Amino acid sequence: MRTHLPVADGRAVRSYVGSLARRHPRMLYGALALHVAAALAGLAAPRLLGDLVQAVESGTTTDHVDRIVALLAVFLVVQTVLTRFARYLSQVLGEQVLAELREDFVDNTLALPVGVVEDAGSGDLLTRTSRDVDQLGWSVRMALPEWTIAVVTAVVTFVAALSVGWWVAIPCLLGVPPLVIGLRWYLKRAKDGYLRESATYSQINATLTETVEGARTVEALGLGRRRIEAVDDDIAASYRAERYTLFLRTVFFPNMEIAYLIPTVLTLLFGGYLYTQDQVTLGAVTTATLYVQMLIDPVDRIVSILDELQLGAASLARLLGVAQVPDDREVSGREPEGEHLAADDVRFSYVEGRDVLHGVDLDVGVGERIAMVGPSGAGKSTLGRLLAGIHPPRTGSVTVGRVGLVELPLDDLRGHVALVTQEHHVFVGTVRENLVLARPGSSDADVRAALAAVDALDWVEALPEGLDTEVGSGGRAVTAPQAQQIALARLVLADPHTLVLDEATSLIDPRAARHLERSLAAVLEGRTVIAIAHRLFSAHDADRVAVVEDGRISELGSHDELVAAGGSYAALWDSWHGRG
Amino acid sequence: MRKLPLDHPGTAAHGSPGGFLWWVARKQWHTLAIGMLFGIVWMSAQAVMPAVIGRAIDEGVAAKDTSRLAEWAAVLFCIGLVQAGAGIMRHRFAVTNWLTAAYRVVQLVTRQSVRLGGTLPRRVSTGEVVAIGTNDLSHIGQVMDVAARFAGAVVSFVVVAVILLQTSVTLGLVVLIGVPLLMLGVAPLLSPLQRRSAHQRHLMGRLSNTASDIVGGLRVLRGIGGEQVFSARYRRESQTTRAAGVRVAQFQSVLDALQVFLPGLFVVVVVWLGARYAVQGTITPGELVAFYGYSAFLMIPLRTATEYANKVIRGRVAAARICRVLALEPEVTVPAHPAPSPAVGSDLVDTRTGLVVHTGRLTAIVSEQPDDSAVLADRLGMAASPVDDDVRFGGTPLTALDPAEVRKRIVVSDTGAMLFSGRLGDGLDLTGHGDVRRALRTASAGDILEALAEGLDTIVAERGRSFSGGQRQRLVLARALAIDPEILVLVEPTSAVDAHTEARIAARLRDHRTGRTTVVTSSSPLMLAAADVVAFLVGGRVVATGTHADLLDTSPAYRRVVARESDPDLETETGELQKSGGSR
Repeated sequence: MRTHLPVADGRAVRSYVGSLARRHPRMLYGALALHVAAALAGLAAPRLLGDLVQAVESGTTTDHVDRIVALLAVFLVVQTVLTRFARYLSQVLGEQVLAELREDFVDNTLALPVGVVEDAGSGDLLTRTSRDVDQLGWSVRMALPEWTIAVVTAVVTFVAALSVGWWVAIPCLLGVPPLVIGLRWYLKRAKDGYLRESATYSQINATLTETVEGARTVEALGLGRRRIEAVDDDIAASYRAERYTLFLRTVFFPNMEIAYLIPTVLTLLFGGYLYTQDQVTLGAVTTATLYVQMLIDPVDRIVSILDELQLGAASLARLLGVAQVPDDREVSGREPEGEHLAADDVRFSYVEGRDVLHGVDLDVGVGERIAMVGPSGAGKSTLGRLLAGIHPPRTGSVTVGRVGLVELPLDDLRGHVALVTQEHHVFVGTVRENLVLARPGSSDADVRAALAAVDALDWVEALPEGLDTEVGSGGRAVTAPQAQQIALARLVLADPHTLVLDEATSLIDPRAARHLERSLAAVLEGRTVIAIAHRLFSAHDADRVAVVEDGRISELGSHDELVAAGGSYAALWDSWHGRG
Repeated sequence: MRKLPLDHPGTAAHGSPGGFLWWVARKQWHTLAIGMLFGIVWMSAQAVMPAVIGRAIDEGVAAKDTSRLAEWAAVLFCIGLVQAGAGIMRHRFAVTNWLTAAYRVVQLVTRQSVRLGGTLPRRVSTGEVVAIGTNDLSHIGQVMDVAARFAGAVVSFVVVAVILLQTSVTLGLVVLIGVPLLMLGVAPLLSPLQRRSAHQRHLMGRLSNTASDIVGGLRVLRGIGGEQVFSARYRRESQTTRAAGVRVAQFQSVLDALQVFLPGLFVVVVVWLGARYAVQGTITPGELVAFYGYSAFLMIPLRTATEYANKVIRGRVAAARICRVLALEPEVTVPAHPAPSPAVGSDLVDTRTGLVVHTGRLTAIVSEQPDDSAVLADRLGMAASPVDDDVRFGGTPLTALDPAEVRKRIVVSDTGAMLFSGRLGDGLDLTGHGDVRRALRTASAGDILEALAEGLDTIVAERGRSFSGGQRQRLVLARALAIDPEILVLVEPTSAVDAHTEARIAARLRDHRTGRTTVVTSSSPLMLAAADVVAFLVGGRVVATGTHADLLDTSPAYRRVVARESDPDLETETGELQKSGGSR
């Protein structure tokens, strides 16, 4: 029943990166130009040192030396200033691009079809939100600028080396084959290796977290030995993953070192030979050797940052993938006539070929209250979701005023039917923010009225900053019943004519349930209600009770009718009253 | 490489953070020592590189001696090979040192968590302990990792200084004094940069929380709307974070530029002095090139030294947190001379509340305050804090017995019990010989198993998240039943399941535990009706015992408590109920 969110392919990633670049041409090319200029200024030192060596060899004065060194100092200052602005501009660009990326991602997430969020669960999405955004942030902030600078420096340095003499190209090119072979070998394996490695640390963490949070259970059930073994197993798996990547590096690092060493040694040898043939000067040999040595650092950075960039690209692909989820509703533009909700021969499956609803018919009268009861797994919640327009039925239809729920635009749908589940998420933010999200632009008076309707105004006003009190994770803790009241107050603001309550008050302390029921009663006032009942008492109050068993409505009628009929509802009612 | 994980992480010195780091280092001193050795060889090879190039230029190139040039090129190549070889060995030992230390920390913390049991969450926030697994282990690992490079840095710095001093005392002193001074030159920038970075990290963390919050509440948003509000808020925070990033960039870019300028300045000074000596004929052109090389190289050991100082500071912070957790002591202690274990079939009596749990019966506890029954259930299994002597098993206080023996004979399974990740079958069958199928049937959990393609081989997600609350509760119940202990205490075992299922569980539980002792806390009539005897607690004392029907008949207070669970209208129907209850 779990599906996975898509991942963007290479082409989509490239075209997105291209569009980002096109959005900021001035910053991008400005930063690149500054980096090139800074790298050029940095090339003066070897050239001037070569001149010095040459001058010393052929005899010179201290004045000449002082002039050359002064020139060296001037170039250093120029390089410093250029570096400052080049770095600044590229970091500003990086922050800008990153902000756009994550904002696009969150907007795409918010636009995800309801069914996809339900099916994929929040795990995958949460990983993308936290880990992939972090990974990408790291890549864009650190890896990408470093890499760009390294590439610019390497190219400029290589060109400078060539300017000393064409012959410098030969030792440099001889270093390329081992470099390319080693790099290809490594990159082909590195990404998977490092992903596996980081997954093993998540696993160690998960096991440790479970052990710590379940410490009571561990003690009560004598699971200590098992937990220790579980962590040790995770460590063993992590060690295997670490050994694999270490093996990759053990092959790759020395290979690179030798690829760097070859050009240096060969430049010296070859240059020395040319000098003995009087084809080049001593200064040129010195300069060439120093340039070739200077190449090592940027090339090494290009190589070592590549796997980091690979991971960044993979994260980007996952973030962009969210935008590729197709919409599951097709707005027809038809307007519902009235508020009559009806399900007609509804069948539905999460997994192809395994229907969980087998032809359900249900006509809900305007203002009617229907309780749905039945054993776990019978399809109550699924039916509830279909009635709220979360999923489109496989066959049959769910309509409001003769228009299919999935034909309505989301915002309109919520004006008709709202689904309330046992999840009562309190968002990070003020109490006010938590409420007005249901109807942006609500006045404080509206908010207070909604809170008063659910009997929550007293405790909210007693908070240190009233409506402005920060709640949610990291803010002031609210109790489960209070969270439930906030959820109910949102409903009052949203004001739909039909409500589907999926075990909305379960998981709540029985003592609080009573109080909440009063709040709930205020919300339900004047609305059509379909309540998926967890406890029988709400069924007793309903106009009609629908017993759902094995994906069908097996009994439908008022409480008294069903009790009199003597079916499964009656049996349960009896046992509830100790007659069983 | 060594064998990891270690069989025994050892007993840590947790007196002080420094002491802990030292203890960890001592425990792996041999790999640390070998790592340092390779670190020294590796960095020294880099340090002598400029000297070799200088000699090659002097004796080979400038002298136009091709055979000397070939010799020096060969030496250069060999030193390069030594550097590559020592480099990778140093890296391998650094990784080993990191892993040994990090894994040891995880093992220590796990073992300590297990030893503390229920005491742990009462003494320290679980987030604090979990942070050890996410961050601290890596900080401890890094202290050990960088140690080898630090040793290399110190030695290579000395090597270069000696070479320079031999050539020229002035140059040597410039290096020895100038380089550390340069490092200090950056210091004034560091603290504002760190402040701004910390602020940026803080905002990034908040932004990430906002995004997680949106994702976590997405289903709620989908039910009720509000996407625009959240999109706008995220955008706002994202822009604040971006602005903070730009402020970091203002300092960071200056620091980056100084990383170019300060070493460059040093190079200029060294080259200037060297060139003047060269003009005077004190040094050769090759030596001048070597000086240039040294001045560039010396930045590496210095950076390593700063890095090491940083790691040690962070390592101490991490070590302090680890020490706090390791220093905790469990509340339940093993008596020096445990009393002999009571005979099988002994009654469990709590003198404080007056509760008597008769052997072989299904006893239900109902309390006016639900918390009271939960505490009592915990006390029956020595799982409450503080531990007390009032619960007696066959007349002996639980505290006088060996805790392991108590846990074997009395098992408490509470509502919040964790379902651990791993293979479902293993998670349910803790003894290795439990009748899992029968337990699952009793817990009415057969449908959960049927829905799983892999059945008992299904891998349970972390904390059993892949199951709904009701499913988790039934699986936890099945797990407790499969242990089949002499006395089983169940706290609210059916609070999250629907009435149909609860009715089935209540009916089967009695049969399942026939001949064994079971205690259930619950206020659900379905469960209470299935109990042999119900104990009613008011103000922490048992005020009435009897069957559910008896108590409904005789105790108006009991009726009120049980009716809370039920329809408000029920209170008016109790008269009729009494009759029906009484006629049973």
